[in-house]
Amino acid sequence: MSVDKVKLPADADAGKGGLIGTLKAMPKRVYHSVFRFRPLPKTHMERSQAVAANFFLHIHSAKTTERALKFRTTLGLGLISLYLFIILVVSGVFLMFYYVPSPDAAYDRMLDLRGAVFFGTFLRNLHRWSAHAMVAVVFAHMVRVFLTGAHKAPREFNWVVGTALALMTLLLSFTGYLLPWDQLAYWAIVVGTAIAGYAPVIGEDLRFILLGDYTVGGEALLRFYVLHVVVLPTVLTLGIGLHFWRIRKDGGLARPDTDEE
Amino acid sequence: MGDHELNPERAKKTEERSRRNFIAIITAVVFGVTAAAMGLFNLIFMRPRVTYGSPAKVRVGRPDSYSPGSQLELPENRIVVRRQGDKFAAISTVCTHLGCTVNASDIGFACPCHGSVYDVRGDVMGGPAPKSLSWFRVSLAPNGELEVDKNQVVDPDTYLEVKV
Amino acid sequence: MSDEFDRPEHDRFPSGSSGKTYGLMCTVDADAPAVEAKPEKSVQSWPAAFIRELLLFIVVVLVLSLIALYFDAPLEEPANALHPPNPAKAPWYFLGLQEMVGYDAFWGGIGIPGILAGLAMLAPYLERKKGGEGVWFHSSRILPNLIFITLFVTLGVLTVIGTLFRGQNWAFIVPW
Ligand code: HEM
Ligand code: FES
Repeated sequence: MSVDKVKLPADADAGKGGLIGTLKAMPKRVYHSVFRFRPLPKTHMERSQAVAANFFLHIHSAKTTERALKFRTTLGLGLISLYLFIILVVSGVFLMFYYVPSPDAAYDRMLDLRGAVFFGTFLRNLHRWSAHAMVAVVFAHMVRVFLTGAHKAPREFNWVVGTALALMTLLLSFTGYLLPWDQLAYWAIVVGTAIAGYAPVIGEDLRFILLGDYTVGGEALLRFYVLHVVVLPTVLTLGIGLHFWRIRKDGGLARPDTDEE
Repeated sequence: MGDHELNPERAKKTEERSRRNFIAIITAVVFGVTAAAMGLFNLIFMRPRVTYGSPAKVRVGRPDSYSPGSQLELPENRIVVRRQGDKFAAISTVCTHLGCTVNASDIGFACPCHGSVYDVRGDVMGGPAPKSLSWFRVSLAPNGELEVDKNQVVDPDTYLEVKV
Repeated sequence: MSDEFDRPEHDRFPSGSSGKTYGLMCTVDADAPAVEAKPEKSVQSWPAAFIRELLLFIVVVLVLSLIALYFDAPLEEPANALHPPNPAKAPWYFLGLQEMVGYDAFWGGIGIPGILAGLAMLAPYLERKKGGEGVWFHSSRILPNLIFITLFVTLGVLTVIGTLFRGQNWAFIVPW
């Protein structure tokens, strides 16, 4: 049987009933064109297919070990990191609609978020606290991976990917810290970037390129903004994708060879 | 694998393989060089040719606006201008530790951030600062004002003599 | 809709001449890492894993929403390059660094953090001995765990000192 001869599910009633028939068949056809499985799959076969046939679900294998599902195996920390990142992207995009990365406007926009934007305070709070939480949770995840020995062969490379993700998370948080352009932000970045200046040989250049100037000013704000809203989130998204893909290719979560515990 | 010479078929294959290797290496080199060049270009791109921040050369007023034996803090330029007799000098108030602005007093400078202390010459007396404060070149601008060039660091105790 | 799904497999999933829904994922010329040597207790990811993941997501969103409702993010005076606050502090996760920088700028800010980052990246290559994978505090891994915990706790203590125990001019203070 060649591909073009295969009957699509909705082909059964294709062409029947003229206009009325077309309209009647529409919901079904639309559903089938999007999903290849029934809304709540019941049999093992269907459930496996539901996982494999859905773009968002297929990062999982069809089956998961009971061990991996136990809370104490992971403490949920990797997933919480992901969820915080999702919250940050969503709330961050909302904030972008009202934020202007310029020394003259940035601080006023913070005040506007408080007073003039519906749910603005909540959005800013959510973004801020999630950012702090993400740094903490990512490091907690790192601790859990190490203490369960999950970084050892064959998962070495995923650990390396993970450390890169941790660094990226720090940078993401640090670049965002400048954006409110208040005293807290400004001096934290003055002190923070001065540390970069201490790197041997390249230190001064590194600091100059990072700030786009000799001091923290409008150029630094613009650079940090671009890094914060475009560059680092994109890199982190790709990195997380790689991280998850590797988890599957490394055979799922780490577990002992024997059933010891 | 020792039988290449004995087996013409194999030898031919090996030759082909080494040609392919050669092409692969050339390709890798070309790609590598291109990638390195692009990385370099990106760095150069990110390095601004002009800066929009405060200018390095600043005019700080006529010499006679300073009284002998005094010094004046210019916070927006982050320097103090000091006059001794008819000699003028400019000292940076940027802490050499992590860049906070130090406060000048009669006995020297103190940093509010991590507690670095400097003497009147700008030499470190205490705290985490690794270097003494910079002295900048002072010159007389054509219009008779003093001009400080913050890009030109000079030795401590370098003064400009001016007929006031 | 159910009638559609009650038809045979190959009718519903037209993905090739055989009607199968899986393709070749990878070939290995050594031990296949994903193939278990022993039977394992496993369950269908749908719904067991997804329900848990969804629940955790809801919990995370709820907890953060509550925090965001009740605690306002700080906003101080507008940035002023002329008046550093005293003390001027980096974000909390860099205060361990800032604390070390207070002892020595290069070693505290670049040297030691660089070495730690390098050690962290190389950890799985440094710890080569097999065993203890996926088990908390496995008895064969006491030394690596001890080193790791020591380093982490040290950084944590420095961070707490930098955050709570440093006041004006970075002088040591007691927060209560
Ligand atoms: C953006 C940050 C990160 C995200 C979103 C993330 C996400 C995840 C998730 C969802 C898992 C599945 C198991 C679990 O939930 O614990 C996982 C496992 C893993 N992560 Fe991460 N992670 C991040 C950062 C890191 C870091 C910083 C490291 C270590 C340096 C790391 C190393 C690993 C390793 C080795 C595994 C496999 C663990 C096992 O097999 O038991 N990840 N990660
Ligand atoms: S910036 Fe002056 S002591 Fe740290």
